[in-house]
Amino acid sequence: MTGGAFICVSRIYNRIKSKQLSSRARKLQIPPSSSKYNHSSDFSRFLLQPSTMVLEATMICIDNSEWMRNGDYSPTRFQAQADAVNLICGAKTQSNPENTVGVLTMAGKGVRVLVTPTSDLGKILACMHGLEIGGEMNLAAGIQVAQLALKHRQNKKQQQRIIVFAGGPVKYDKKVLEMIGKKLKKNSVALDVVNFGEEDEAKAEKLEALVAAVNNNDSSHIVHVPAGSNALSDVLLSTPIFTGDGEGGSGFAAAAAAAAAGGVSGFDFGVDPNLDPELALALRVSMEEERARQEAAAKKAADDSSKQDKEGESTSQDATMSENVGTSASESENKKDDLMDDENALLQQALAMSMDDPAATVTTRDTDMSEAATDDQDLALALQLSVQEGSKDQSGQAEMDKLLADQSFVSSILASLPGVDPNDPSVKDLLASMQNQPERDG
Amino acid sequence: MSTESSSAILRNQVDLLDFIDWTGVECLNQNTSHPFTNAVKQGYREDEGLNLESDADEQLLIYIPFTQVIKLHSIVIKGPEEEGPQTVKLYTNKEHMGFSNVSDFPPSDTLVLSPENLKGKPIILKYVKFQNVRSLTIFIEDNQSGSDITKVQKMILQGTTVETTDMKGLKKIEDH
Repeated sequence: MTGGAFICVSRIYNRIKSKQLSSRARKLQIPPSSSKYNHSSDFSRFLLQPSTMVLEATMICIDNSEWMRNGDYSPTRFQAQADAVNLICGAKTQSNPENTVGVLTMAGKGVRVLVTPTSDLGKILACMHGLEIGGEMNLAAGIQVAQLALKHRQNKKQQQRIIVFAGGPVKYDKKVLEMIGKKLKKNSVALDVVNFGEEDEAKAEKLEALVAAVNNNDSSHIVHVPAGSNALSDVLLSTPIFTGDGEGGSGFAAAAAAAAAGGVSGFDFGVDPNLDPELALALRVSMEEERARQEAAAKKAADDSSKQDKEGESTSQDATMSENVGTSASESENKKDDLMDDENALLQQALAMSMDDPAATVTTRDTDMSEAATDDQDLALALQLSVQEGSKDQSGQAEMDKLLADQSFVSSILASLPGVDPNDPSVKDLLASMQNQPERDG
Repeated sequence: MSTESSSAILRNQVDLLDFIDWTGVECLNQNTSHPFTNAVKQGYREDEGLNLESDADEQLLIYIPFTQVIKLHSIVIKGPEEEGPQTVKLYTNKEHMGFSNVSDFPPSDTLVLSPENLKGKPIILKYVKFQNVRSLTIFIEDNQSGSDITKVQKMILQGTTVETTDMKGLKKIEDH
């Protein structure tokens, strides 16, 4: 009997659990349609949608020429460049675990490859220390060496990309650079150029021409970063060099860009989504739930007030308007609340069943059963079984009573028992009382 | 008529499409909106409207690794009359090839395509040079008209696999 009730309760509880989970999942599907820049929605997009995961091998060409000693980018051009390189390496290796990054220097005593493409971030960062500044940047040689390094990459499936930091003046002709660009394009290598530091018209033009020659399907980019208060790496964060070709780019880049744009105080709830994405998500979800609850409450209040208004025959236009707005805005939330109400009713029903006296609720149980049978066959079966058990017990009891009422049957049994005299007055009294009892009960 | 003669020659040869290792295929200088799949993959290559096109200049370099060792017998290259490829060089088992080092190795075979070939007539290769092919590099050097863009409509590789021929021989010995 109680076993049957327990089964019911656990069944219903499980159903409620699964419904809650599915409604939770529905809540999490935030449409990525908001074109307006909103970093919290960007963040959720990074959490909920897999990024495009570009598989890439990248060579970064660093400018370590004498021009990098200048302090117009804080703290120096070279240090600013090193920070930007570190950040790019992090973004590239995080956007896909199979991505590789290599580094070479273009100035000094000729082009020098510091690290061939590797996915070991530590190796890349280590090579940036103790670099010597000197000589002039050799752009053409740097790009061609980088291309050679990429050509011999281990994983042939990787796309090839060269990122050039051009801080010093460019001594090559536009024609020469265009030729190199064509060659890169032919070998399907993409090229990103960061133009900073020395500024003269010819340099920007030359670099633009170089990128234009390489560009294929908008995969190559150029960024001009003028000297200013902003750190070089911060400026680069929001550029396609970081965010990549795919919409939204890598999660790391999107989150980093959002963080940079909003500043430290820009985080929702004061939690850095990079440090604890789960906590941030949980906070967002609970915030949404609370908002939905408040909207529902506001709507209910509006309904009540409008009813009162009607009774009092004082129609306030403002009130009806706000009600309408509330209805349209919280329509979806209301649906969810309805669902929750449904679930609560089910749960209470189950609790009542388990606590009620089994015999007293047989009739109500029957109606419950028919209800339940419409939407859950298993549940109905369990209910039926437990009810049958109960009625069987009861019919057994009734049969016993009937037998005891039959005096001749009882006396014959008593006579057959050894050492019992059916004519004994005390036994007769007992029999008489037993006969009266069922009559009273009936 | 040409199909009859070709089928007679090719009766023991199969289309090697099923033995291409697609994950390793690489095509340099392809126009990304007209990729090599348009010319090589089944279904795509039967469509005349879908071409493989070159991008920066007229040259194309296609690297095709196979899932097993094959013998290459003949090749069909279909293309338009004007922009169809003319000089085609084939290299076997050369990895890491780029446009800069095509002249470093002697080609296994050099083909000069006639307008007839471009309409679908198979080109019989120097069979002895293609007996142990794990990967094939097809270098399209120029096209018929000398224009900047080369177009290829269809490419079929025909030959036999080395493994299957070995298996057949083994069975015969067991039978006797």
